[in-house]
Amino acid sequence: MTQPKATVIIADDEEPMRDMLRKRLHEAWPELEIVAEAANGIEAIALAGQHQPDIVFLDIRMPGLTGIEAARMLFNRCHIVFITAYDQYAIEAFEQGALDYLLKPVNLDRLKTACGRLQSRLGKTPNNIERQLTQLLQQTGRSPAGAATPQPEYLHWIQAQVGNSLRMISTKEVLFFRADEKYTRVQTAQGEFLIRKTLKELEDEVDPNEFWRIHRSTLVRVDAIAEVTRDLRGRQMVRVRNSPEELEVSRGNTHLFQQM
Amino acid sequence: MVNRARGVLSFVGEVGETASAMWWSFFDWLAQVPLRQLVVTWILAFLLACTPALHPEQAAFFLLLSAGLKILAGGKRKAEIEARKAAVQAGSESLERRLVEAQMSALQAQVEPHFLFNTLALIGQLIETDPPEAAKIHTHLIEYLRATLPQMRSRGNGTLGRQIQMARSYLAIMQARMKSRLAVSLDVPPELESATFPPMMLQILIENSIKHGLEPKVEGGRIDIRASVSGSVLQVDVQDDGVGFNAYAGDGVGLTNVRERLKLMYGTRAQLLIEQPMDGGCRASICIPFAPDIFAKP
Repeated sequence: MTQPKATVIIADDEEPMRDMLRKRLHEAWPELEIVAEAANGIEAIALAGQHQPDIVFLDIRMPGLTGIEAARMLFNRCHIVFITAYDQYAIEAFEQGALDYLLKPVNLDRLKTACGRLQSRLGKTPNNIERQLTQLLQQTGRSPAGAATPQPEYLHWIQAQVGNSLRMISTKEVLFFRADEKYTRVQTAQGEFLIRKTLKELEDEVDPNEFWRIHRSTLVRVDAIAEVTRDLRGRQMVRVRNSPEELEVSRGNTHLFQQM
Repeated sequence: MVNRARGVLSFVGEVGETASAMWWSFFDWLAQVPLRQLVVTWILAFLLACTPALHPEQAAFFLLLSAGLKILAGGKRKAEIEARKAAVQAGSESLERRLVEAQMSALQAQVEPHFLFNTLALIGQLIETDPPEAAKIHTHLIEYLRATLPQMRSRGNGTLGRQIQMARSYLAIMQARMKSRLAVSLDVPPELESATFPPMMLQILIENSIKHGLEPKVEGGRIDIRASVSGSVLQVDVQDDGVGFNAYAGDGVGLTNVRERLKLMYGTRAQLLIEQPMDGGCRASICIPFAPDIFAKP
């Protein structure tokens, strides 16, 4: 084994796992020099920039940036090996995409094989794995830009100021919203809250299949509707569960309850 | 003088408004009523209007009779409506109950594989470097699985003490893995340990705190678990100083399950509260009626 002295960075958020990998690497490849260890994805990138290692071992689930996101920024500078304890989708993708990966707890024989493969590739330019990584990111539900924010979908939580805290009210608990002068009243089975968001804003943000606009000043949760009746004047009135209030349906919205 | 005039004026105005409202409600009715019903009503109204002039004493009898009929019919119809309403409500409630039960059994089988594999990897590593620590984590894992796997659940699980014990096991494992990134404090007065508390709820809140609050936070953080009684309400808080709450994130299986089960077991007497304190993080609280011993019915 007369290899040039290779360098490596280990990135895993769990310290015991880094200890284990370090120990195993010493056994599998004694000449390999561990130049740095990172506890999260951001640190891994920074340390890689500083040390310019030949190889980076990346755990997949890490705070800051995940291993896959970090790999997208590093793959053309060094060889990447992923490590994971359990990531079903990722493992499938690794096998298809011929990416290097290790399973925790790291098995010495498996590590030796991986190291052998790395040794034969040292000095060559790393494989272009951008396509596989992009695919992987999409499968794990992250945007390919590397931003860790998932696409905002619908509003699922209403925030209401209660004393010194923001109360988070699940939209599943809301019976209806009613415009109340400058505020909007949020009615739940437990009570009512006033929020500053206007009814129009709420209507735009919540799932339109979850809430229906039945009146200029009322947005009602469909699941909470107990019955729809007509009063003497022929107006449709909606009654919701757990609330004595009757909600009027305006003329323009009666089509919502045509068959009821 | 002026005041009285104003009073009279407003009274006249009110009468006018009432009259116009009645006129418009009549107009609405006219627009919607089926033609046949309109004809019958019209004939009846015509007869009613003519009879007082022709036969005054028969008119009085007729009025009395129709009033009696109206009251009788109205009572019958009301009873019918009530019965139908009750039937619909009973039907939808039993449907809901079955739905929740189905969802619950699905959830109960859920031990996160990621957690399990990572813990096993940790034990494997500790066997080489620190066997006593490995044995400790191993015991905690067994404790956790005993309480989590539905097949293993015993009847004594329904007390707060049991739930806290399980939380301790889980948190000990997480601390062994996250090391200095996770700090934990538990503040549960010993006299509350025998209180009735539904299984798996505390666990779900703690797992949420770690998974969504602390694991994504680079420097980690702390999690505080507190139990207290005020009046007849037992409140258990799980507070973290993690990354906080995303209003667009779905409600998740866990929280939905807790909320539905609370509703099912206690109706409106129990509550799941989720709050974001001003200084960051997230606090989830479960409030249930305080039942100090296990023989008390929830």
